[in-house]
Amino acid sequence: MIRFTDISLSIQGQNLLEQTGLLVSPGDKVVIRGPSGCGKSSLLKTVIGALPFSGRLSVNGVELQAKTAAEIRSRIAFIDQEPALGAERVREALFLPFTYKAHQHRRPNEELVHQTLKQLRLDPRILSSESKRISGGEKQRIAIARALLLGKTIFIADEITSALDPESKQAVMDELFRPEVTILSVSHDPDWILACSRTVEFQNRKLTEVPHDD
Amino acid sequence: MIDMDYISTFSMFALLLIPIGIFRWLGLGLARDTLIAAARMTVQLLLVGVYLKYIFRLNNGFVNLAWVLVMMAAANASILGKSGLKQKIFYWRTLIGIALSTLLVSSWFILAAIRPDPFYDARYMVPLIGMILGNCQRSNVMSLERFYSGIRRNEQEFMTYLMLGATLNEAVRPYLRTSLKATVNPAISTMATMGIVSLPGMMTGQILGGAMPMPAIKYQIGIMICIFTAMVIAAVANILLSLPAAFDGFQRLRPDIFND
Repeated sequence: MIRFTDISLSIQGQNLLEQTGLLVSPGDKVVIRGPSGCGKSSLLKTVIGALPFSGRLSVNGVELQAKTAAEIRSRIAFIDQEPALGAERVREALFLPFTYKAHQHRRPNEELVHQTLKQLRLDPRILSSESKRISGGEKQRIAIARALLLGKTIFIADEITSALDPESKQAVMDELFRPEVTILSVSHDPDWILACSRTVEFQNRKLTEVPHDD
Repeated sequence: MIDMDYISTFSMFALLLIPIGIFRWLGLGLARDTLIAAARMTVQLLLVGVYLKYIFRLNNGFVNLAWVLVMMAAANASILGKSGLKQKIFYWRTLIGIALSTLLVSSWFILAAIRPDPFYDARYMVPLIGMILGNCQRSNVMSLERFYSGIRRNEQEFMTYLMLGATLNEAVRPYLRTSLKATVNPAISTMATMGIVSLPGMMTGQILGGAMPMPAIKYQIGIMICIFTAMVIAAVANILLSLPAAFDGFQRLRPDIFND
């Protein structure tokens, strides 16, 4: 569950949101819409504590503060259009979180990794590729695979289907649109928007729920 | 050693006409900077000559230590200035890093290897610490600049590390590695080619001063190891000590740490 209460957000002196709220319940699939530059991506970044804001923001009942930022980040997967893999090789990137103290004890076995990659229509041979040589769509799916291997169930997704072919997109959506997964997303993709359960729009610096086009 | 008179010394400046001519010809606009730098170097060295004369004559442990502290404070200010970081945020932190590394290795060199009497003899303490400090200064400008600009340029990647469960220390490690590599590689290559490609300054100076080559070489080996060790300790210590001031509670790099 993600709860925004009286959130105000400004970037470089420009007010993007003023005293507005939003509740994303467990299992909700929310898509945020609005004109380009209105602050949709910035709103997503506030959830992971990447941007300063005023007001209150909580994830699963834990209020986002300096001392809770790490705990909240550990519950969330943040995937954007061109995710940073953070390592030279794909294998290294996929196992990167399991080199950190927080996840060392849950390093997945090779079989689970292969299975997860295949579910996302990725050939396990991609593990031996250099990160900079794989496509944007493959990077997105590696980032999603990594989040799934970490057992994350809250996904903050910024245009994550933008670089995917129809089959890969379907595979990603099959994995993410499961009942236990909560999604807060920004997308212009009609298929993604249609699959979401709620639409929220930026209107006059407020977040406004609009009827969802089913 | 043959002492040059002042006229001969200043005649050396005639050589500068060649690079200045080249700068003019290429329209580089470096002639003025070169002249200012050469004038500063001359005045500073002449002043140091006067200071050192008195410091050597006095040879008082506290005065020597005070002079070393002045050198450290100046080196530290220069490091922060050149690496584009704000003095008021980092000054004391990096001063600790510089002092720690320099004093540790120079103590080893002077107290355990050279063993002068008295142990604080200015003829050993001041120039040796000065050499170590001068080299640490150059390398620390690079390590701090590379480290913080690396995180600033790759903000999204840095946030990804945090999102994947990294602590701040774990998240900064790739940038620490890159900056340390960039700092240390030139020093490794200098060490590896020393004696073949370059004849080091201190050794040459001692030989010109009338020392036999072998004692001069032993000093050179000692100082090279001290410089390298101090450089690595200072680079890592400065980065680690500066971390708490450079990031906010949310582990975001503070934008106001940079001078630009």
